[in-house]
Amino acid sequence: MSCWRFDLRKRMLLYLEGRLPEPKTARLERHLLDCESCRALVVSLRAGHQMARRLASLELESAEAPDFEPEIAGLEAAASEGGTPGLVWQGWLDRLATPRIITVLSAVVLLQLGLLVVSNRGVLLGERSRTSIAAGAIDLAGFRHMTISELKSNTQPHVATDGYVEHVHTDEEEGTVAFRLVESSQNKSSFVVCEIMSPIQMAPPAEGSRVRVYGVERYDAQQDRNWYEVNPVLSIVPLKP
Amino acid sequence: MPTSGLQSRTRQAIDRAQEEALVRAAQGDDGHALRRLYEAYRAQVYSLALYSVGDAAQAQDVLQAVFLKVFRGLRGFRFHSSLSTWIYRIAHNECREHHRRRKPFVPLEAVLGSMDEVDPQPNSHDQHARRERDRIIQQAVMQLPFHMREVVVLKYVEGLSYDDMSRVLGCAPGTVASRLNRALATLGERLRPFKQCL
Repeated sequence: MSCWRFDLRKRMLLYLEGRLPEPKTARLERHLLDCESCRALVVSLRAGHQMARRLASLELESAEAPDFEPEIAGLEAAASEGGTPGLVWQGWLDRLATPRIITVLSAVVLLQLGLLVVSNRGVLLGERSRTSIAAGAIDLAGFRHMTISELKSNTQPHVATDGYVEHVHTDEEEGTVAFRLVESSQNKSSFVVCEIMSPIQMAPPAEGSRVRVYGVERYDAQQDRNWYEVNPVLSIVPLKP
Repeated sequence: MPTSGLQSRTRQAIDRAQEEALVRAAQGDDGHALRRLYEAYRAQVYSLALYSVGDAAQAQDVLQAVFLKVFRGLRGFRFHSSLSTWIYRIAHNECREHHRRRKPFVPLEAVLGSMDEVDPQPNSHDQHARRERDRIIQQAVMQLPFHMREVVVLKYVEGLSYDDMSRVLGCAPGTVASRLNRALATLGERLRPFKQCL
């Protein structure tokens, strides 16, 4: 995998099916002329597409079909006795869904959203400034510099931290690139996972290189993760080893 | 009995107006309407289930579980999506549950035999060769990781659009496109050794 044009790769099947609009087709074909990795993908995709088109629907013999007669008879009996006990709450739901209740709920949701935006404005500003970094418009001095192990006790959203790059990994589904930043080759237990949202705009650093990463610190509490992240990465500056 | 993907894609279930009338009747526990809904969607759900769980007996269990949920949940159906999207979504969740409890698959070559053991296609019109080809492609699809297998079946067997797949699977259309790309590229690569008999 050596091409990060995820936007073009996602359109390849439409291209093979002849459903990609003309300007996008021309752009994809120009890219294919230059990109060996994408040409190889088109060849594999075409083979897979041709085979999948022959895929048959697997049907059930009528004799093997599950019998729902007892279930259907039970529902009919419950209806004729004046309603299904398990679905009594449904009537309450219908009564609750009045225009007035919906208006009040909408107002509450909007208020919550407003509060969310205000409370996360630092993070949101960080996200917006990612593009301005490319133009050199952000002040990197405003980021709090600390070691990777100090990230655990940090409370500021914008951080800068140094380390060695390991395990550069592309998530093709999401179109992102992540890498692990370790404090030193001797201390790999202290690390932070750094995620680049748009690898086209910001090339990931080489594995083994020493860099300073600027970005927004988060904690990923998912069960198989439980680690600190710099996500999104807003800038990467190479350092001397 | 397998039917061609093309036939399946052009299969007409019931049109929107009929569907709505049928659902409203079924919401009143009209037994005839419930039976008609089952007949209209049984084949699609079974096909998706069989590709997903890879075993006919388990696929029947999935089919039963899906329609029990459909019948019991039908009163709460508010037409915010099409009925088929709602049913596929229930089926997707049920298949995922079954997939978590599945036995691991054996490698493709172990199922199909090596290239030398598979009959080359002597004549494209030969029925035996077509059955062999279908079997090879089906097995290859069933060997894909679950999330890839689903998108392939939803697109090529059930004929869903990217938007419908995105609603059924609960992810962005871009993610559907990426999964489909990876699935087809994997399928193309895995079936490369069998190319001459496909």
